[in-house]
Amino acid sequence: MKPAALLLFAITTLGAGLQRAEAADPRYPDWPCAQAKVPELSVAAVWDGPSIEQAQKTWQDDPAIKNLVERLAARRIPIEEAQKNIEDFLAAAGAAKADKGLLLFAGLFETLNRQRTEVMNGLERLQRRQRELADRIKADVSAQHELPDNAHPDQAKLDELGTRIEWSTRIFDERRRSVRYACEVPVAIERRLFALARAIRRQME
Amino acid sequence: MESRVRRAKARSVAPTKASPFEAGRAHFALPTLRPFYMNGIRYCEAIWRCTVVGICVPFLLAGDAQAYKAYVSNEKSNTISIIDTAERKVVGTIKVGQRPRGIAITRDQKYVLVAVGDDDTIQMIDTATNKVVDTLPSGPDPELFTDDPSGRLLYVANENDNTVTIIDIERRTRLGDVEVGVEPEGMGLSPDGKILVNTSETTNMAHFIDTATRKIVANVLVDSRPRFAQFKDDGSELWVSSEIGGTVSIIDPVKHAVKGKINFAIPGMRQEAIQPVGIAITHDGKTGFVALGPANRIAVIDGATHQVQKYLLVGQRVWHMAFTPDEKYLLTTNGVSNDVSVIDVAALKVIDTIQVGELPWGVAISQH
Repeated sequence: MKPAALLLFAITTLGAGLQRAEAADPRYPDWPCAQAKVPELSVAAVWDGPSIEQAQKTWQDDPAIKNLVERLAARRIPIEEAQKNIEDFLAAAGAAKADKGLLLFAGLFETLNRQRTEVMNGLERLQRRQRELADRIKADVSAQHELPDNAHPDQAKLDELGTRIEWSTRIFDERRRSVRYACEVPVAIERRLFALARAIRRQME
Repeated sequence: MESRVRRAKARSVAPTKASPFEAGRAHFALPTLRPFYMNGIRYCEAIWRCTVVGICVPFLLAGDAQAYKAYVSNEKSNTISIIDTAERKVVGTIKVGQRPRGIAITRDQKYVLVAVGDDDTIQMIDTATNKVVDTLPSGPDPELFTDDPSGRLLYVANENDNTVTIIDIERRTRLGDVEVGVEPEGMGLSPDGKILVNTSETTNMAHFIDTATRKIVANVLVDSRPRFAQFKDDGSELWVSSEIGGTVSIIDPVKHAVKGKINFAIPGMRQEAIQPVGIAITHDGKTGFVALGPANRIAVIDGATHQVQKYLLVGQRVWHMAFTPDEKYLLTTNGVSNDVSVIDVAALKVIDTIQVGELPWGVAISQH
């Protein structure tokens, strides 16, 4: 694609993106994703077991729970494997199964919720940087147009602006693609938490 | 608010070509296993057919191991997942058009119909070959539809042009349109086939359409963004879910009036996360199930008192559901967790979860 076409595309997309974010929720003007921003997950959305209030205070005191939470929260561990780990761990817990299950869920809830918040903050940071970049591109394009259109144009200046616009547009476009990809991450974390919670509940019953 | 808007002016109905089948539906009856009703008594045409033909007795006597096929539309992957309900696993996947949502099986069990909204049509899948073999002429962006008791006519809600399209399934032709409210979605047909109810998302109304005259006879105001309409099998009540309002309105279909509302409350859950969409009611009308979207739960409702008995945690963003024909199981589509939950209807417990495609939307279950 030619820089000019790329630029037009980028600016239009950015405009649309900003508009959509504003229309979606005025509280989160920097939120770049199509789905509505839900800052915190609620326990009730993923859990129908006993209250975890107590477990939320104590799960970190149990080294085995702490280790397992860390392992299960890592998204590189396939979900099937993580579910199997839960089954094995709780099966081995014997009479303490219900208590251990609660601690495990409390740990996963806290850890994955935090992970999700970090990703969402990163997305908003990226969106702010995109806006700054878009402003710079717009300024460069205006400067390009304002250069005297005569028989002896300032060729060096024109070239410099052209190169800068091309590079900025490329960066803008690449970031735009990664934002779209990254928007899937909070959803993936929520999905993982739900699947793990379900595996714990199944073992506790 | 239980206000009611009586029908004030006649809505226009597009002139339609008369169909030769219009008058005599009986001679066109297709072999069906779906129950039909006469004088309030439930009949199953299959029993009659089997008596005459005498070959499906073993099928009717089959017990617990009865396997049905559930077809699940995956809105994002543009596929249909086929689930064997006895094995509880996916046994096949069918590629369809863009954005499949509303799904149903024709009464003769020959075709799965699926509304592919972004292709502005309804595709017909041959249940014998699992291949898309034909299309039906809906309006733009079809979402949900329902067929009449003869299995010959299909009523389709077209989200983008504020109409309900009437289609002759056999001839694949469009018989006409009825103008309704903005963003029509939910479609419910009275058990006798005489009244079609369509809900419009933006107008917040349930439109009662006389299927003989194809005119709106009443409009009933419900809570914000109605999504689904379901009659009880005896025709005594119509339930309409409101996604943003967070309620289910119980409507008297004769008086065209809201006679009660179901409200939901789940401890620890924000009220706005409770978004009722899909509804299923048992044949005897004693138990209703309401899918609560991002609350990830199905509410179990007492059909007589309309009180919530229980909330079942299923999967993420649960929208639609279907019973197996024996009503032993209820399958729900969970859009975010990309799975289908299996509920044991007698025990009121979630007994299994089946992974399907991306963004499962609707589900239809075959009679055999």
